[in-house]
Amino acid sequence: MEWLVHFYALHSKLIDQVGINAIFALSLSITLQAGHLALANAAFGGIAAYVASLLSIARGWPLSVTTLIGAAAAALVGAAVGWPVTRLRGVYLAIATIGFGEIALIVENNLSITGGAEGLSQIPNQTTTWKIYLVLAVLAFIFWRLRRTRAGWAIAAVREDEHAAASFGIDPTRVKFWTFVASAAIAGVAGSLYAHENFFIAPGDWGFSRMVDILVYCVIGGAASPWGAMLGAGIISLLPEVFRFLHDYRDIVNGVVLLAVVIFAPQGLAGLWARDRRGRKATPPGAAEAQGS
Amino acid sequence: MRNITRVLIATAALGGTLAAATGAGLAASHPDLKWTAIFDSTGPAGAYGTSQKNALELAAADIDAGKIESGGQKISIDIQDSATSPAQVINIMQSAFGNGTSLIVGPTLSSEAFKADPLAVKANVPVMGVSNTANGITEMGPCVFRNSLSEAQIVPDVIEAAKKSWHVKTAAIIYGDDDQFTKADYTIFNADLPKAGVKVVDVETFHKGDVDFKAQLTKIKEAKPDVIVYGALYAEGAKLLDQARQVGLHGHEIGGNGFNSPQIIALAGKAADGVIVGAAWYAGAETNGNAAFVKNYTAKYSKSPDQFAAQAYAGAQIAAAAVKKSHPADAAGMCSALKQVGSVQTVIGPFKFASTRDADAHGFVVQIKNGTFSKFE
Amino acid sequence: MFDQQLANGIFLGAVYALFAVGYTLIFGVLDILNLAHSAIFMASSFVALALVRHGVPFWAAFLAATMFGGALSVVLDRVAFAPLRARGVGGGALGPLISSIAFGIIVVSVMRGIFGPDEIGYPSGSVPTANLHLGHASFTAMDLSVLLVSLVMMILLSLLLKATPLGRAIRAVAENTKAASLLGINVEHTIGLTFLIAGALGAAAGILIGAQFNAVGILMGQRIELKGLAVIILGGMGSIPGAVLGGFLLGLLEVFSVAYLSSSYRDAIAFAVMFLILIVRPSGLLGKRAGRTA
Repeated sequence: MEWLVHFYALHSKLIDQVGINAIFALSLSITLQAGHLALANAAFGGIAAYVASLLSIARGWPLSVTTLIGAAAAALVGAAVGWPVTRLRGVYLAIATIGFGEIALIVENNLSITGGAEGLSQIPNQTTTWKIYLVLAVLAFIFWRLRRTRAGWAIAAVREDEHAAASFGIDPTRVKFWTFVASAAIAGVAGSLYAHENFFIAPGDWGFSRMVDILVYCVIGGAASPWGAMLGAGIISLLPEVFRFLHDYRDIVNGVVLLAVVIFAPQGLAGLWARDRRGRKATPPGAAEAQGS
Repeated sequence: MRNITRVLIATAALGGTLAAATGAGLAASHPDLKWTAIFDSTGPAGAYGTSQKNALELAAADIDAGKIESGGQKISIDIQDSATSPAQVINIMQSAFGNGTSLIVGPTLSSEAFKADPLAVKANVPVMGVSNTANGITEMGPCVFRNSLSEAQIVPDVIEAAKKSWHVKTAAIIYGDDDQFTKADYTIFNADLPKAGVKVVDVETFHKGDVDFKAQLTKIKEAKPDVIVYGALYAEGAKLLDQARQVGLHGHEIGGNGFNSPQIIALAGKAADGVIVGAAWYAGAETNGNAAFVKNYTAKYSKSPDQFAAQAYAGAQIAAAAVKKSHPADAAGMCSALKQVGSVQTVIGPFKFASTRDADAHGFVVQIKNGTFSKFE
Repeated sequence: MFDQQLANGIFLGAVYALFAVGYTLIFGVLDILNLAHSAIFMASSFVALALVRHGVPFWAAFLAATMFGGALSVVLDRVAFAPLRARGVGGGALGPLISSIAFGIIVVSVMRGIFGPDEIGYPSGSVPTANLHLGHASFTAMDLSVLLVSLVMMILLSLLLKATPLGRAIRAVAENTKAASLLGINVEHTIGLTFLIAGALGAAAGILIGAQFNAVGILMGQRIELKGLAVIILGGMGSIPGAVLGGFLLGLLEVFSVAYLSSSYRDAIAFAVMFLILIVRPSGLLGKRAGRTA
């Protein structure tokens, strides 16, 4: 027991980081499960983080309130962006979301209310470990149950084959739109939690390299299930600490590990396990695009 | 035995016991200290973090060899790479607290400091920033120190020097608006130039990583300023200087803090001649131990040190001097020691902490001439 | 000022065009976001610089490093993309994107180990640096070289694609891999050659741009990579003339937005244009492929 307390004292921040990264990973996994590659989660996290932080600083509202408002703001922007963007296919959708992310970054750098490049400091430190993991547990539970609902079937159908889904009366664009908005909202929750964990945020926290990190969580762990996304977030967050003894060679090892997982376990590590259990290959998210539509 | 012999033996025994007791007592009251340095030696800030890492390795060796005095107390410095990731800065720090570290040196970026230093404040471990220049750093806690000069402390001297020698009446500023370091150049020059009677006739911006500045420079040329102020780090700075010549700008120029790097000269060559820079340090500065520092650093790392290296080395000198003066035993002791350190001769000049724990020191106004930085007359 | 800004825009455009030409080839053929292209761009630039520092004349180093880039690109395909193709994970899927990122991380890391994190420049005198003038505009010899090379590349590549068997094979594979193989085309071979060409183009861009701005650094590819996306979207993915046209248009747009609006939004305009094109006309100016599902 004492060992646990001591371990927590030494590593509580890392544990918190894993949790927040897992929520980001979940936000991406929902769009991946619907079969589209949307790359604006980091940007949505940033939007919510700024909104929530400014409210906390100016009004002192509790974390749950500011996070909800932040996530709602992210969802609203997500809806505005998603409306035109989810009509695009494959790579074009991905690029459009990257473009949006870059624009959001530049806007954040230039507005005085966000503090610009100097960032926003003295954000109240309201995030705690149990709050993060509570949110994570609730989200994971929702995702897990989602599979058996009509919405869940619709999402899976759109991923497998958009045309077939349409012939069943499912509107692929609507599914893509709503998963996009949902992913923006969830990313927003993660963003707000991050801001209230770290005292300070700057536009650079929400750029393309952060998006790549989130992408990597889903790839390593596997986006097909919430467990995969969370597993990936956990492994990648821990990797720099585990490999610290490698000093400057950490990057190479990171790259090699990433490459190996992508090539030998394209459904992620959770997918490997899923495949063994069901004895057949789970369809990787996004493979529908591969048929050269 | 004769009486005198007994007395002699007794005295010797007493003396020996006293010496042993004092030695043991000394060792007990001067335990080994552990410091943790957290720098971004990889990632986007890798160029700066590597300089800092190199300098601190040199400092650690110099402390061991006694070249930097610590009053005989052994100090081991653990230098960790945070890879330009605030998360890693935080994790390294948290682990360091568990290992009994009594001082954190770093982190490299102010944005990282804002996220991580509050943890050190909570754990009562002092932090010595050696490259944090933003506003609000030392306000984070009573044991947060820094030895890095902010632009606000250097710029007025630079403007005065430019006015005196060049009689400038108008200025244009071009700066990176997505980096706190370069944005500070704008904020401060833009405020201080008018105070000195110099009108700002044009302001242009760019982003980190940009390679082409000709559009902005052409616009500046149209505004015909007496002097151009560059708020840039060395990579963009070198290209700015090059391209300024290409579009036909040959007038007076001032570089911000980021220009104080041998890389500017290496990359821009002759285009850099004549630029004046406000700096916390320069390689030719005749400060205590600087010549040896430059020589040893160059010999060990095959390149000359830059300001990041000098301030990191000076940070170690200051902390070691604090140890020598107060013999701290732990983190709390280290904090008090730093508060009481008084004036220290460092490679960046005579140094002391202001009451706010910021640097109370003067910068230099230097000019690039014939490939080196020299004092601006 | 207008003359100079026009020249600025054209020469900036040439830089973008040069980068985009190689970039769009892989996109067009394999429909994948190859985020390792910037790493090849960067690594080849270092190779050329290293050769010049050892006394090799610039244009000879250029040729050698271009071949290096082509070879590295083939390695990229073998290591990161081919195994995924073999498993049937193709096109728009996540896998190739991530494996290209992973390959890029490895290359950047290796280069940092060899060359360090700083930006380094060419020894003076090794690269043509003459300042030229045309009317009121000034530019450098390297600016002109980049412009000429990008135009030549566009012409050669277009000819290759239109008039040679290899070009026909590439276009067939770009249309439909299965049909191409049914037509007797060796798909893997063709893809490999496509990577070779794209890599050589990326290398050429990296070497010239590194010399033009006299700065070779491990991060040099990352900024231009995102702009490169805007260029190929504007021009139309997969279209070589589109990449060149898009490059020049973007260069001019950026420069004139600085000249007549504000420099703060220079990058925002580039991405806003990209975003708008995707919404309104995803196939870009000269592209043929439809980008919409609804």
